[in-house]
Amino acid sequence: MNREDYRKAFDELSFSADFQRRTANLLRDRARELEKERTQMTFSKTKKMAVLIAACIALLAVSVSAAYLWLTPAQVAEEHNQPLLAEAFQGPGTITINETVESGDFSITLLGLVSGRNLDVLNQDLEKDHTYSVLALRRLDGEPLTNQNHSLTQYTMTPLAAGCSPAAVNSWTLEGGGTGMAKDGVYYYLLDTRSIEMFADHTVYMAFYEGGVPNNSIFTVAEDGSIAFAEDFTGVQALFTLPLDPSKADPAAAEAFLSEYDMGWTNERSDPEEEWDIEHRETEDGEEITLRPKDIRNAWLEPWDDEKDGGHHVATPEERAAGRLYTAEEFEADLSLRRENFQEMVSIGNMTQEEYDEWDQRQEEILEGLQSGAFEGRVVDGTVYFDPIASE
Amino acid sequence: MVPFGTDETICRIVTAYSDMLLRLACTRLGSAADAEDAVQEAFLRLLTARPVFRDTEHEKAWLIRTTLQRASDIRRKAEQRNIPLEEAAEPMTPDSPGEELRSAVRALPEKYGAVIHLHYYEGYSIREIAKLLGLPAATVGTRLARGRERLRQMLREDVV
Repeated sequence: MNREDYRKAFDELSFSADFQRRTANLLRDRARELEKERTQMTFSKTKKMAVLIAACIALLAVSVSAAYLWLTPAQVAEEHNQPLLAEAFQGPGTITINETVESGDFSITLLGLVSGRNLDVLNQDLEKDHTYSVLALRRLDGEPLTNQNHSLTQYTMTPLAAGCSPAAVNSWTLEGGGTGMAKDGVYYYLLDTRSIEMFADHTVYMAFYEGGVPNNSIFTVAEDGSIAFAEDFTGVQALFTLPLDPSKADPAAAEAFLSEYDMGWTNERSDPEEEWDIEHRETEDGEEITLRPKDIRNAWLEPWDDEKDGGHHVATPEERAAGRLYTAEEFEADLSLRRENFQEMVSIGNMTQEEYDEWDQRQEEILEGLQSGAFEGRVVDGTVYFDPIASE
Repeated sequence: MVPFGTDETICRIVTAYSDMLLRLACTRLGSAADAEDAVQEAFLRLLTARPVFRDTEHEKAWLIRTTLQRASDIRRKAEQRNIPLEEAAEPMTPDSPGEELRSAVRALPEKYGAVIHLHYYEGYSIREIAKLLGLPAATVGTRLARGRERLRQMLREDVV
């Protein structure tokens, strides 16, 4: 399949010829009905607004001495056009935090969170509860943060659960989606994840930091399962403990979740050199150094950790020998797309340029090996294995 | 932007987005009628929710996410009634060469299907898809790679 085949398959689809006309008429009728309803509601809304304005004036009068005035989580939800969520943040289920950590150039305040179902009018999930968390970020030097000078993706906001690997319980595995907006110099994060209440019988944290997916260069896990930032992690960081109600824990759901995502955790960082076999050989032209990855699978493919059939099987030498030959041309064609993916990760800060260069160098070596015949690629069950060819 | 609801904006939005959204809905639904329902519901939600968009990209992202959600709801309701969608409705262009591919896309987990379609049909980059779906770009990259791999397995092809 290529892009052309894909487009052709979906271009074959045919829909009602009058779909656009019917839809436009339906929308016009509905717009007229809504307009009527709004006109009838105007009076009561006006009264409500007057009360609201009076309340705001009173609030401002008593808050002038406060060090900083944030929007409330409900106001942030309103700014995102999320009326149901705004209402939930004002309801009994909301958890108000209002804790501030200063780190680097920033003051980071976790304002609060709320959990529930169908609270997001833009992205409803009828089957799962979600947790919505709001965090405010401002610069300590007073320089206002704006949508232009601050990037949402430069920092990560993620829940973590003590006793669980940070690589297993985080915004990525919890299908998180973050939105951000600047208002009056403060940047507000609204994070939507699957509900974190299932872990409420653990210590649950909300972490905010400079960087991407949680790994052991950012976090360390103590023997008792508690999570902290790694001592040598120097980026902007804040870790808040969430006062969740342990009675809302769902150990069965948490276990099911972890069985899907928990791939283990180690605080030990591997030395990249340990992942390579290095051979030195004297030749007529001098010394030839050969680098060969110890785990050939990791040379460029990550294991498919979401396969339901029980994870990844590493093919035996016999299975590899029977696999389809994978040519240098195929590798090169696929490499261009993977380069594009990895460059995207560099551009958003999920991979450093140094890591990218190192990865890219490996790819060049594999390609060179395939082209020269020093390596052979074989496809077994959708995974490509590279093995060195023994010379005569 | 101008609030949705005037004749002018209704015409603009229906003309600009219908085709794209109908095909996108077909990554989750096997019949044209169901896809049309999903897209109409998304447009109607635009009227009732009255979101304010920063720009047309924001507007498009909202419509894409809402259409996908509506399509999922329709599919889920049919599954709850134990009616396989493709039997409940007349399949679109049966026996066509593209039906095998479309069926494979529909058989993908939903999180992969949307990313695959936006990349292969609409030509969006990973970063653009991340913005449209409100996901980290790394997640989109992973979903794209895994979706391609699953499609490759389903279609029993050697190269995607």
